Amino acid sequence: MTEASTQQALRNGSAPLPIRQRESVIGAYRTEIAIAIAIVLLALAVGSQVPQALSWGNFANITQAGAPLMIMSLGVLLVVITGGIDLSVGSVFSLTGMVTAQAMAHGFGGVGASLIGLGVGLVFGSINGFLVTIAGLAPFVVTLITFAVAGSLAFIVTNGRSMPIGDPDFWLLNSGSLVPGMPNYILFCVVLLVAIEIFLKKMVAGRWFYAVGSSSAAAFLLGIPVKRTKFLAYVASSLLASFSGLLTISYILNAESTAGSSLMLQAIAAVVIGGASLLGGTGTAVGAALGALMITVIQNGVNLIGINSFWQGSVTGVAILIAVLIDRFSKSRRRAA
Amino acid sequence: MHDRQTFVVTVRGLTKSYGATAVLKGVDFSVARGEIHALLGGNGAGKSTMIRIITGSAAKDGGEIEFRDAGGNARPEAEGRRTVTVVHQELALLPHLTVAENIVLPRYSSGLSVFHRKRSVRQAYEALAIIDRDFAASSLHRLVGDLSLHEGQMVEIARALSSGAQLILLDEPTANLTAAETERLFSLLRRLARENGLSVVFVSHRMKEIRQIADVCTIIRDGRTVVDRVATSSLSDTTIVEKMGQLAAHAPTGSVSGVRQAVPVGEALTIREEGLEIALPPGAILGIAGAPAGPESLISALVGAAQSKRWSVSFSGWPQRFSSPHQAATLGAGFITGDRSQKGVLRSLPIIDNVMASRRVARGSRLAGGRENVECIDLLQALKVKAASLWDLPDTLSGGTQQKLLLARWLGVPSRLLVLEEPTRGVDIGTKKEIYQLIRDMASSGTIIVWWSTENAELLEVCDRVVAFDTEGRCAGIIDHEELSEDRLAELTGMAA
Repeated sequence: MTEASTQQALRNGSAPLPIRQRESVIGAYRTEIAIAIAIVLLALAVGSQVPQALSWGNFANITQAGAPLMIMSLGVLLVVITGGIDLSVGSVFSLTGMVTAQAMAHGFGGVGASLIGLGVGLVFGSINGFLVTIAGLAPFVVTLITFAVAGSLAFIVTNGRSMPIGDPDFWLLNSGSLVPGMPNYILFCVVLLVAIEIFLKKMVAGRWFYAVGSSSAAAFLLGIPVKRTKFLAYVASSLLASFSGLLTISYILNAESTAGSSLMLQAIAAVVIGGASLLGGTGTAVGAALGALMITVIQNGVNLIGINSFWQGSVTGVAILIAVLIDRFSKSRRRAA
Repeated sequence: MHDRQTFVVTVRGLTKSYGATAVLKGVDFSVARGEIHALLGGNGAGKSTMIRIITGSAAKDGGEIEFRDAGGNARPEAEGRRTVTVVHQELALLPHLTVAENIVLPRYSSGLSVFHRKRSVRQAYEALAIIDRDFAASSLHRLVGDLSLHEGQMVEIARALSSGAQLILLDEPTANLTAAETERLFSLLRRLARENGLSVVFVSHRMKEIRQIADVCTIIRDGRTVVDRVATSSLSDTTIVEKMGQLAAHAPTGSVSGVRQAVPVGEALTIREEGLEIALPPGAILGIAGAPAGPESLISALVGAAQSKRWSVSFSGWPQRFSSPHQAATLGAGFITGDRSQKGVLRSLPIIDNVMASRRVARGSRLAGGRENVECIDLLQALKVKAASLWDLPDTLSGGTQQKLLLARWLGVPSRLLVLEEPTRGVDIGTKKEIYQLIRDMASSGTIIVWWSTENAELLEVCDRVVAFDTEGRCAGIIDHEELSEDRLAELTGMAA
């Protein structure tokens, strides 16, 4: 139908029906707003028990401790949106730290060693992407394999010993200020969050992530490059996991083989709290980041109040449950008629 | 119809609103025991909502629902609902279980009962034998995933009967059936209605079928009952269409020859297989008829969905075979799938992404939003889609309206070829005619149309040539418009009309 015939069809039809032309921000970020409110309430609740929880110092603690999880969650989110899952991020995180520290011990500078570390992410992301798209294996199985392999390599690199960071200036990656007044860990979080959110919302290639996750078969028939999209998601996820591994060793100045072992489940939890469905097709970067923030606030609160840290998992579990219930409730209202 | 009728279900003054939208504004509907009842209405008239309320999957706002058993005694609502079974277009069967297991499963609803294998198989056989003794004997142990759609429907009907259904509601059951299968289904329904006292409610947009099978009909329009259980034979086609509020259906539609004159000249697309060559000049509308095997292979080849050596095309700038739907779309070959729910609608994406998807691929666009919003609204209004926002999910729309979203994907996109699978499935009669016209418009701007339909009347109306496939998937003949008739199509496709 040409422009003219569209016009004609319009004239033939009854009075034009009003259709919203602008997306309402509240409608689009309903889940995210709810999580943000929940985080504030949570912080206030902790603050009522331990006043210092609401200090700037503690805020800095939370963001610095939470930055790696947030960045990793953004990567996992990309995979989850396409309907996949990435179980290998924690292992890739650890292996990156070990390889980078080892490279420094062998005389590489901070920059060179970091690039080698990111290479770990690139390699494992490509393996994941290749096995999922070309070989057609299930993402759960593929990333379970790379989780096991990268996890064991993280021990092999140093024979299980932890490894101090060789470059004395390496702390600058995490705590330096490329932008005056803003520590790098916040800068990285903000830049990655905004970039990924814009990519997902406004770029056609980003919309393909959702389309592939919504129905891979439909996306294929539509001519959407399904394999390329999935491949990119796994590479991005591993690269972001690698990068958050670098941030962490730059913060604690020590690399450990098991550093990332608890992070994978936390990252998946963050993505789910943020409103993404593990079935694919939904989720936002803002949501995943808030999910990561919530988990960090919970951990921080449990520490400050002095609850036995063994309870952390249970509290996080309840938080996931509440988030999922809120999400379900708010979605059911959108399914009218 | 019987003299003293028992009404299995009676609905009075049913109302239902979703948010500010009143979907049902007082619907009356009653079904007598042993009758075949056509439920008619345009897309979004409220049929599905009413059905959902009757079966209990949605709550009513107001009105009454009354269920009665065979003896005419009132049943409690919860119990009554269980005697109503809906058979959807997408069957609710478990593909990894056998036919027998699927049939007896509802009996094990508690989940704690022990599965008695022998007894279950016997029960399943008895249920299925009511429908077709031979089928029951041969198919009890087959996996449901291996059945054809028609066989699946029989299994669902058997399951409904065996779990005590008194009313079966079929939602466009013939949309994917061949003519022969449709006839078998109809005679089965007539027999079950007559001999077992089963009531059948039949939702269809095909006038011919409604006449063929329904004793009475009810028409719903804009959430109200406009024709309440009237004998179908007493209503003319025009009256039915008029009552549905679709006078537009009778607006004169352009004749095929009229379209022909407007068609620009240019190179023809040639489709080949061994010993067969179809040349399609720009603006040609080629129909495809027959059981799925043949049409599916041709369509897959035309849109790059599957790799097969059977077909090849020649067209300047195109490869002999597309490597993927991506390549096809970027070279101007559009495709609208017939499998709306599985391979069509992107369920978790808003309307705008659903509508703009093909344009984005064809144009290679990088950015979403912006001018797309205006374009999308124009498309929706041209197709008379009622939506509150471009960011609503497709599931907020009725099935027929979702079909329009799929159609909108290629409407007005400058393309060289457009392949359509059952583009009017689930769409009401008025909208069908509009769709025919929109497709003709695309053809007259030079797009070659390939149109697969299982509704022969549609092919007759729209296509200037039809290629017919037999049940084995072989090409049985190519018929020009002048020689087209439903009988000829039926003969070539090997399906009794």
